[in-house]
Amino acid sequence: MRLPCPYCGQRDSREFVYRGDAAPTRPSSEEGMYDYVYLRDNVPGPMREHWYHAQGCRNWITVTRDTRTHRISAAVLAREDSR
Amino acid sequence: MDSDYRLTERPGLGMATIMARKGIQPAVIGAVLGFLPPDGPERAADARLALIGTGPGTWLALAETPEADWVTQLANKLNGLASVSDQSGSYVVLRIAGSGARETLQRGVFIDLHPAVFRSGSAATTVIEHIGVVLWQLDDVPTFEIATFRSFASNIRHWFELAAAS
Repeated sequence: MRLPCPYCGQRDSREFVYRGDAAPTRPSSEEGMYDYVYLRDNVPGPMREHWYHAQGCRNWITVTRDTRTHRISAAVLAREDSR
Repeated sequence: MDSDYRLTERPGLGMATIMARKGIQPAVIGAVLGFLPPDGPERAADARLALIGTGPGTWLALAETPEADWVTQLANKLNGLASVSDQSGSYVVLRIAGSGARETLQRGVFIDLHPAVFRSGSAATTVIEHIGVVLWQLDDVPTFEIATFRSFASNIRHWFELAAAS
């Protein structure tokens, strides 16, 4: 699989580290921390997820990928990702 | 295949990384340096300094004939705009030049080096044989240069020997 890094262009997925679902946000207290760390949805279809371009520009990117087809519809730098 | 190329080391280069502070655009740094740093994976240079884009707001700076305190001078010039750290001892720069340079390099990288998409002035941060490299093209000979971690330089040289022989 190739990922469209917003800075580097199309790159092999082996250059990246996969972090997973971009949706969960870190809770401000211990309350909810278990859910944040361990409970993940197994989304069938388009999913926003974080990838780290470890062997390229060393930036986190937010990729919108269909988990059933691997079709990628968007990729932006996570720092510029509005949510 | 055409495997005619020369691999040479470029000793004595000054190297440093430049990381722009939050919100500082390349043009602001360009105004201080006298030429515009590339806002993408490309190379830009004047007679003394070359800048290779390695990420948003980050560059690898190369000085052909560095003075002893060139990094301090650069850091002072960019004070408040960017962080500058000396990398002269950390990287080795290898030059790969000749008609077979592109084909040989293409055996090692996942990116497309076809001249339609990777040409003189293009740059990329990627891997060769699991080893991180910053790669750029200087001219249409073609001449490429790669910066790699000093402790891995002999492994990269070994890879070139194998790639050229196969």
